[in-house]
Amino acid sequence: MKVVDKLITWARCKSPWIVHFNSGACNACDIEVLCALTPRYDVERFGMVQKGSPRHADVLVCSGPVSLQQRERLVTVYEQMPEPKFVMAVGTCACSGGVFDGCYCIEGGVDQAIPVDMYVPGCPARPEAIIDGVVKLLSKLEASEDGK
Amino acid sequence: MSKIMVPLGPQHPALEEPESFNLLLEGERVAASQVCIGYNHRGMEKAAESRTYLQNVYLLERICGICSHSHSTCYVQTVEDLAGVEVPQRALYIRALIGELERIHSHMLWLGIAGHEIGFMTLFMYAWKDREIVMDILEMLTGNRINYGMNTLGGVRRDVTPEMADKIREAVGQLQERTEYYSRVILGEETVYLRLSGVGKLSKADALRFDTTGPVLRASGVGRDVRRDDPNGIYPNLDFQVITDDHEDVYGRTVVRVKELLESYKIIRQILDQLPDGPLTVKVPNRIPAGECISRYEAPRGEDIHYTRSNGTDKPDRVKVRAPTLANSAAIAHMLDGGYLADVPIVIAAIDPCFSCTDRMVRVTDANSGQAQSMDWESLRRYSAQWYRKQGMDFSRIPLR
Amino acid sequence: MENEVLQKIAERFPSVAAEQAVVKHHRIYLSVPNELLVEALSFCYEELNFRHLCTITGLDNGKEYELLYHISKDDGLLLTLKRTAPYQEPVVIPTVLSIYQGATFYERELEGLLGIKVEGLPEGRQYPLPDNWPQGEYPLRKSWKPKQAGGAGQEASV
Repeated sequence: MKVVDKLITWARCKSPWIVHFNSGACNACDIEVLCALTPRYDVERFGMVQKGSPRHADVLVCSGPVSLQQRERLVTVYEQMPEPKFVMAVGTCACSGGVFDGCYCIEGGVDQAIPVDMYVPGCPARPEAIIDGVVKLLSKLEASEDGK
Repeated sequence: MSKIMVPLGPQHPALEEPESFNLLLEGERVAASQVCIGYNHRGMEKAAESRTYLQNVYLLERICGICSHSHSTCYVQTVEDLAGVEVPQRALYIRALIGELERIHSHMLWLGIAGHEIGFMTLFMYAWKDREIVMDILEMLTGNRINYGMNTLGGVRRDVTPEMADKIREAVGQLQERTEYYSRVILGEETVYLRLSGVGKLSKADALRFDTTGPVLRASGVGRDVRRDDPNGIYPNLDFQVITDDHEDVYGRTVVRVKELLESYKIIRQILDQLPDGPLTVKVPNRIPAGECISRYEAPRGEDIHYTRSNGTDKPDRVKVRAPTLANSAAIAHMLDGGYLADVPIVIAAIDPCFSCTDRMVRVTDANSGQAQSMDWESLRRYSAQWYRKQGMDFSRIPLR
Repeated sequence: MENEVLQKIAERFPSVAAEQAVVKHHRIYLSVPNELLVEALSFCYEELNFRHLCTITGLDNGKEYELLYHISKDDGLLLTLKRTAPYQEPVVIPTVLSIYQGATFYERELEGLLGIKVEGLPEGRQYPLPDNWPQGEYPLRKSWKPKQAGGAGQEASV
């Protein structure tokens, strides 16, 4: 690993930018993700910033099961993200489809559409759990040889 | 002037859900708009037909995470009516208590989002910080911050102890103080008034014509509230006002929501004072006699309607849900037309949309050349905040404590 | 209150079997002949002040389609007017947009989920099913079953 790569990995771990995508969720996980940005939880102290565009993001935070209508859009958003990219499935539905498993318009968990690096269960996942998920993801990134 | 078509959504970072709008622009103004929803359609009504009545309580609670208690209450009311059981008074009081706490959490959340959409970030952070007070109370009562799982067929699953009641009283006192402060900032501050008044106009006649509901309707001067007009549970025993406002715009919707918060505190105090003793649940049979029932509930966003038809088995024949946002969706296009592009985020946010209930994104196309340019919510929101700052509306100048 | 409304409807429309209506506190469930429905809704709107269309429920009862128009007035009374539509394809019903302008999404939902053509409804994107949903598949019909139990659903899962 070159010094430059080390520097990039170090920088990336200090400021992971996230983009949030709702693929068919009930809103509960979404407001908990937003909650994590607000004063009580304040993820910005870890350098995490929520970005509007997937092109600026390192981590895609997905909530909800994948609905047939959103599937294509989820894949597009994932493809627009620059490498290396990580996906976090937040909430039981995003992990496995949860209570919506078997509904005709639901494909299942997020991993049915795109590769997932971190699963955060809970209905909804608590903000602490979401922050813990991102921190664990970062240690994974830090430990990796080439940053992926 | 050339017309530009702007597609907005469905990936949508500032708010929570997917939806999409097609806006036809003439310069800065919206000439025509089209609402596309359905991104969150999961097929729950069909799924409800293959699950038992009790399983459906937990499925339908997850129609929407913000008004989850509204949906489950509305649904259990239909089933209890069909089964012909009388729910214990204490359970009804606890249901109403959770319902009002949910309204507080939802209106606080909205207040924050509204602040975010107009570029008043301090309000966003303040409102969400204070919202944690009510989230703690809900967690204490139900064990979960959202999707409480408090309702069951025939009653509620957890009790409220006197110690909990004291904590709720204390929290309500704190919240009241904070809300009164917001009410001074929002209702007394000229910048907020200038930014919001006249935006997203919806006249009384139009609000009725489009069958809108909830705070959107009440901000257009129509005092319609299911809690008073067609009360269920214990609402007839409570003394509260139905808040209306005659501004007919986003400012009016803000006033209504802030004042409704104060009403909710009043209701909660009454509930705690009146809370009767007694059992929490009554037995409801697994098989529900054949029949049909429609139930209404005033959710934070408006009137929620559930229709259940039973056929004598342990599974419903049909469950129909009409979420409040669907009723308000038809009016969005009308409210956007003729307004500025910079007002689009706040107008949409002002109906407090919940498309997971109903089932959201913005794209921009040049009607002459047919060129489409995508605009995400965040960039539109930033554009909006900058556009108004140029007009002299800067929220950073508002003195806050 | 409930009986008064029922009586007025019976007076205006003698062919409506008002005695068969199910009446509960603040609720009336009443079947009306198919051809009279739009006229009956118009009467309720104009004369009886039922100014709010709560929703339209479409259902398949195993024998035919039932369409329930839930309308309410400010005193809390909720009237449900029912009509039926036979299984015969194509199923066509008239729109109520001329009376209740908020009905667009409700009627579009009938078209999407039950395959009932609503005549007079302006063109628009289908709702609420996804864009790639196959033609002729209507999930709320009793004859329609998801392809695999516990799985994704119809062929739509591309």
